[in-house]
Order: sequence, then structure tokens, then C-alpha cells
Amino acid sequence: MRQRIAIGAGILWLLSAIYIVPTDAQAVVTRFGRVVEPRMMPGIHLSLPWPLDRVSRLKVQQQQRLVIGGDASDSVLGRTQPLQTQFLTGDQNVINLRVVVQYYVGVPSDYLFQQENVTRTIAGAVESELARRVARRDVDSVLTTEKAAIQEEVRAAAQKVLNEYRAGALLSSVNIELAAPPPEAADAFRDVASARADSSRIVNEAQGYSNDVLPKARGAAQQLIEASEAYKQRKINEAQGDASRFTEVAAEYAKASDVNGRRLYAEAMEQILPKIKKLIVEKNGNLDLTIIRKEDK
Amino acid sequence: MYRRHRKLVLAVAALLFLWLTFFTIRETDFVLITQFGRPLYTVSDAGLHMKWFWQNSTYFDRRLRMYNPRPSEFLTRDKKNLVIESYVAWRIQDPKRFVETVGDPIAAEMRLHDIVWSGLAAALGTHDFDAIISPAAETVKAQQMLDSLSAATDRAALAQYGIQVVDVRIKRLNLPEQNKQSVYARMRAERERIARQYRAEGEEQALRIRADADRQKEEILSVAYKQAEKTKGEGDAEATRTYSAAYSKNPRFYKLIRTLESYKKIFDDKTTAILSSDSELLKIFMRGETGQ
Repeated sequence: MRQRIAIGAGILWLLSAIYIVPTDAQAVVTRFGRVVEPRMMPGIHLSLPWPLDRVSRLKVQQQQRLVIGGDASDSVLGRTQPLQTQFLTGDQNVINLRVVVQYYVGVPSDYLFQQENVTRTIAGAVESELARRVARRDVDSVLTTEKAAIQEEVRAAAQKVLNEYRAGALLSSVNIELAAPPPEAADAFRDVASARADSSRIVNEAQGYSNDVLPKARGAAQQLIEASEAYKQRKINEAQGDASRFTEVAAEYAKASDVNGRRLYAEAMEQILPKIKKLIVEKNGNLDLTIIRKEDK
Repeated sequence: MYRRHRKLVLAVAALLFLWLTFFTIRETDFVLITQFGRPLYTVSDAGLHMKWFWQNSTYFDRRLRMYNPRPSEFLTRDKKNLVIESYVAWRIQDPKRFVETVGDPIAAEMRLHDIVWSGLAAALGTHDFDAIISPAAETVKAQQMLDSLSAATDRAALAQYGIQVVDVRIKRLNLPEQNKQSVYARMRAERERIARQYRAEGEEQALRIRADADRQKEEILSVAYKQAEKTKGEGDAEATRTYSAAYSKNPRFYKLIRTLESYKKIFDDKTTAILSSDSELLKIFMRGETGQ
């Protein structure tokens, strides 16, 4: 009986040599504390039984998240003023930043054994690179255009630092989640934004004016040109009409110029004389000009 | 009874002997072997090791540690105050020296604080503010400064305390609290200037666009006027040519009808004409067809 128990215990003990690494994990095997298998992939594996070998499993694919700055608790960073999120830019502006770092395990054995506190190492590396990058730029570029560049630079540089430390962690992203001026100057920053909007509004209005005036001017110009063409055509046509009428009449007139001359003269007089006052005087007779004066009154 | 006891005692003694002879070291540790309190040697390879059973093994954490000294205010060469928060990445390198001089990590960090603080104070005293913080990247010497500070700290810490300083870095730069209000005031003033500039630039551009539009309008209209007048002139010229071609063939007739036309226009109801009874028109009226 006692023997059986011993054999059963022995078998159980031997079974502890078999271990399984789940799909999302990798394992590090240590023998008497020394790393013998730095990276075991998912599957079923064999080692020496406990306590000779120990298996540490790590979820390598799992993204871990770390917040720097902002109002999250910063006990990890050992910050004495937890609300201190201020960074100093190159042009000596103070801005508040909150940065979210995502990382996962790169080298499991380094990750487990090379540092006392992985989060603290990562936070230190990222924060120092961030401070350095921000200190070399002016506040506008940190707030707007250069944000993406800073993120990528910080990620790459902090990764380099972590590799030097053998931290065994891979940074997948460094994301500036919040970049804002301090509340004491926030209204002035907002005014700059609205000034930019005002500026483009004014420009748009001017553009609108231009868009209104120019087509109208072009229309008016076209109208002027068309009118002048019309005038030209009218003048030419009238001249031709008048000329051919004149030529026709002149041809007839030439056939009997004396009679026609008299007729035309008489017709003209018929039109003129009825409208005007007429004084008829005898040939060689004296004319009393006072008559005219009286008539005028 | 005695035999059983003897067996038990022997087994316990053997276990105790093995326990005292063999020791394991994890990857995270160093072991310092001491003999009656005197440090003999350091074992740094992880794994299973042996020692004499009368010797003692003391474990030291060899992992990298991050030490964050409290933020302190420093003065740059050009007498500007700067609050610097740094970190020191360090690990125990020489356990023997470490245990002799410092003993434990807390005490070690106090020593590191002193070294780093005086190192930073000295380094900043030889650098201008611009060399640490400036938008002109080429003037910034912060990294070189920290590299040499790290190296100097490492040398000092290793020689004195058996500590390896891997890195000294600045993780936060700031201005002293008492300067903040004036900094905020300066930031506000700067923003106001920029806002004014934006508005003025917008105004400038708008005026330019309007002026350009007005100029173009004038140009378009005047060009059109020019062309229109030219066209009219052509029309007039053509008409004149036509008229003169026709009239010059019969100048007498033209003179007659043109003069008669003029009469029609010149004389109106205000005109008083004094007609001679002898005139062509009235000759018959006065004297009859024969004209006596």
C-alpha cells in the first residue's frame, strides 16, 4: 500500500515535467535559476520536473498600456506631484501633455529578469525622450503640426534606450493623447485659433467679392463689345441704304434736273413755310423793321 | 530505538549538509560568499553552485533599477532657474564593494542622489539655458551634457560604491513655480501678438484680393471700351466711305437736297422770314404766271 502511494507520487512528480504554453503566450524555463530555454513557443513541452525546472509563462501578444502625465495615478513613476503634467517647450512655453504608451513583451527572459520594474523603466525612457523632443520645438508645432513626428521620434528613441537597458519590451506606439496649453493661458490660445478662423473668413469674403465682381465686369465688357458691333453694323447698313437711295434718286434727278430741282425746292418750302412767320415785301420797297419788334411782343 | 534515532539524525545532518553546500542563483541575483563575515568572492552566474558549508551566501538584486530623485531647481550659466526631474538607471555591479560601503538599495539611492545632484548642478553651471531648451535644435547640447554626466557618475559610483550607473537622464524640464505667473503672462502676450498677426495678415490678403479684383474689373471694362470704340470707328469710317462714294458722283444734287434738309431743321415757329415778292416762290403769287 505504502509502495503504491510512493509510486503514484513519483508518477505525479514526473508528470510535472510536462507543461503547456497557451497560444497567446511564450514561456521561459529556468533550471536552478538559470535560463535554459529563453523562449518556448505555444504547445506542449517537456522539462525537468519541479523544482529543478521552473516555467514562467508570459502573455507576449498582450498589449500593455502606460499613461504618462495627465490626471491618471502616477505612483508607478514615483512622481511627487501626481498632477504635474507640464512640459517645457523650446520657446519656453508650458504645456500639458498626456501620453499613452503601448508595449508588449519582446524578449521574455530580459523582460522577466533584467529589471526591477518594467513599467518604471519604460516610463522613464519615454518621458525623458519626450521631454527632450518637446524642449527642442516651439509650442505651436507641439500642439499642431509636429505631433505625429514627435510621437514617432519618441517611440524610436525610447525603444533604442530600452534596448540598451535590455528591457525586453517592444513599444508599439507612443501616442500624445492630450496636448493643451495650461488653463491660465488657454483663452489666449483659443483666441489665436479664432483669429485664424477670422482671417480665413475675411479672405473668403474678399474672394467672394472678387468672384462677384469679375464675372459682372466680364459680362458688362461683352455687352459693350456687342453694342459696338451692333452700332457698326447699323451705321454701315444705314450708310449703304442712304447711299443707294441717294444714287437711285440722283439718277432720276439727272434725267430732268431743272424740273426735279424745282419740285424738290417747292416740296421743301411747303414743309418749312407753314411753321414760320412770314413778311412779304415788295421788291425795292422799304421795310419798317419795327413791325418785327411789335410782332415779337 | 537508538538505531531509529541515529538514522533520523544522520538523515537530517545529511540534508543540512546538502542545504548548506549547494545553492542556486536566479538570473536576477548575485551571490556574495562570506566566510565568518569576511567577503570572499562573488558568484554572478545563475544556476546551481557549491560552497563550503560553513560559508555564507548573501543575495543581491542585480537587476536594473530606476531611481527618481526629487525634482530640484538648478541655475544655468546665464543665471536662469530650471526645475529638473531626472532618473538614474543603476544596478549593483560589485556586491563586495556595495555591501562594504552602502549595504542596501535605499542607502545607495541616497548616495546616488548626492552624486547626480552635484553633477547636474556643475553641468548646468557650464551650460546656457539655450543649450538645454531651444527651438533651434543645433544649439541644444543636453544629450552630450547628460552623456558625460552619466559617464562621470558611473565612474564615481563604481569606484566608491560598486554601483554601475547605466544612464542619467532628464525626464522633465520645467520652470520654478514662482516664475510661472510671469511665464503665463508672457505666453498670453505672445498669443495675443500672434492672433493680431493672423487677423492683420488675413486683412492684408483680403485687401489684396479686393484690389486685384477691382483692377481686373477696370482692366476688363477699359479693354472692352477700347475695342468697342474701335469697332464703332470702323463702322463710322465704313459709313463715311459709303456716303462719300455715293455723294461724290452727284455733288450738285447732294448739295441741293442736303441744303433743303438743313432748311427744314433750321427754321421753326420762332423764325420770321422776310420774303421778297420778287422771289422765285412768290413771283407767281404776286404777279401771275406771266409775271408783270
